[in-house]
Amino acid sequence: MKPASSILLLTTATGFAFGLLAWIGAYAALGLLPAEAHFALTGIALGLFLASLGLGVSLLHLGRMDRAWRSFSQWRSSWLSREGVGAVLVYPVAILFGAAARLHHLGLATRLLGAALVVTSLATVFCTAMIYASLKPIRQWHNSHTAPDYLIYAVFSGALLFALLHTAMIGRAGATDLIAAATAAAALVAKRAYWHHVDAQTPLASLAAAIGLPKDKDVKPLDAPHFTENYVLREMGFAIARRHGAKLRRIALGLGFGAPLALSLLASLSILPLAATAVALACAVIGLLTERWLFFAEATHVAALYYGRRV
Amino acid sequence: MTMLPKAPPGAKRLGLVIDLDTCVGCHACAVSCKEWNSGGEAGLLPDYDKQGPEPDGVWFNRVHSYEVADQGCSRTVNLPRSCLHCEDALCVTVCPTGASYKRAEDGIVLVDPEICIGCKLCSWACPYGAREFDEEAGVMRKCTLCVDRIYDKSLPEAEREPACVAACPTRARHFGDLADPESRVSRLVAERGGKNLLEELGYRPTNKYLPSRKATIPVEPRKADGESREGVGAALLKLLDRALSR
Repeated sequence: MKPASSILLLTTATGFAFGLLAWIGAYAALGLLPAEAHFALTGIALGLFLASLGLGVSLLHLGRMDRAWRSFSQWRSSWLSREGVGAVLVYPVAILFGAAARLHHLGLATRLLGAALVVTSLATVFCTAMIYASLKPIRQWHNSHTAPDYLIYAVFSGALLFALLHTAMIGRAGATDLIAAATAAAALVAKRAYWHHVDAQTPLASLAAAIGLPKDKDVKPLDAPHFTENYVLREMGFAIARRHGAKLRRIALGLGFGAPLALSLLASLSILPLAATAVALACAVIGLLTERWLFFAEATHVAALYYGRRV
Repeated sequence: MTMLPKAPPGAKRLGLVIDLDTCVGCHACAVSCKEWNSGGEAGLLPDYDKQGPEPDGVWFNRVHSYEVADQGCSRTVNLPRSCLHCEDALCVTVCPTGASYKRAEDGIVLVDPEICIGCKLCSWACPYGAREFDEEAGVMRKCTLCVDRIYDKSLPEAEREPACVAACPTRARHFGDLADPESRVSRLVAERGGKNLLEELGYRPTNKYLPSRKATIPVEPRKADGESREGVGAALLKLLDRALSR
């Protein structure tokens, strides 16, 4: 599948945004939110800014962005519509939460709204993941890894942002760095498990089945319908060299999860905590964008079978 | 509305039955489709880089040719590929706007170009690659089963069929109601063992493909040389043959 930059930016930015909002909400719900007046508000503002950035960029993917408002209507059947509804619900919840935290730090309202913030933020990430997980023609997406993986990456990227914010505004606190390290380890394990799973998958169908013959018949493409690339091949026939894929996987794993894991552990030991968390975040941004690029580039679509491609 | 509709009792399920035994892969259906849908009510189907090195454009129908190994020989199978108007059309349910919809009354899957936001998700949901994006209008396009032809009362009744069906020179394309077991297309499917493409993905396509038949042309077994030759002429030839062979 063609990795469209607008979608890579959308899913990565909203992962950071909703992850951060979920952590702030969770800390508040558990009564652990730091009392510093600006901490919660800064976090909420940063989260909403990143979410708006991602959602804004995603509009560029649309052929008719002037009609984007129409995408809220089909939430009963469409995960894309549900994602939109969820994202829009996060805003009032986050703003009310910010107001409550400002007025009564850790009052009942703050705690309840914090819990609501966790639910709406993670539900939106889940909807994003289900857009991909529900697509039957793409075996690398339509599996039981996709949805939990998106949630794990969002929780991980949010934990990194939360740790950086905490270190920058309040000072060293080993716990937030340890949480970031733990989520990085979980994300690393999840990504490896995902690759293990998709590498072992068998093709969804054979070319013979695609043309209505018994599936084990030996069929070869003879003449293509057209000599140049068309929309289907550009969008769904995207393929990367296995060699490049392996290299990019190492980059995604090392920069995306390995480096943040090591740096967060350093920070938790109060070795250059601010620099370590900041570098961890920078690595995670590059690594997660690479990971998301691979998520698309390595995904194959059954329709490419008709053109004799391997799926 | 992108929930799949519940077909009312007696509703039609219009679709195509394509005979892979008689399709010669001439692309007439694809060209005729392109022409009809560039001039009809569906509006212009765009072409890009028309005279350039990389010509491209939106087509609703693409004709592939394949080589199928068959008992030591190989056979050519031509496969016209277009929207199959599936009963479990994932392209409809993933649509966030309601632009992609399936008609309850006849099962035709359409895109409303006035509502489509061009998110392309429906094209990802289709395993048959049947949807193509219109880069000029910024919306998704697909086969309409010539909905602007088949119900057009101003056309003579015999012409109220999709343009691809009308164009086929070998009559390999058949149009009709697949919900009615007595219809000509349903009987064809029953008699010839009509197949679904990518059956295992479970989209339950309406369009069916009739597999190639085994060619059985009765031929008299060839007689060995000499046996067939009789009469005076044959005897003379035999004599001559013997004399020359010496």
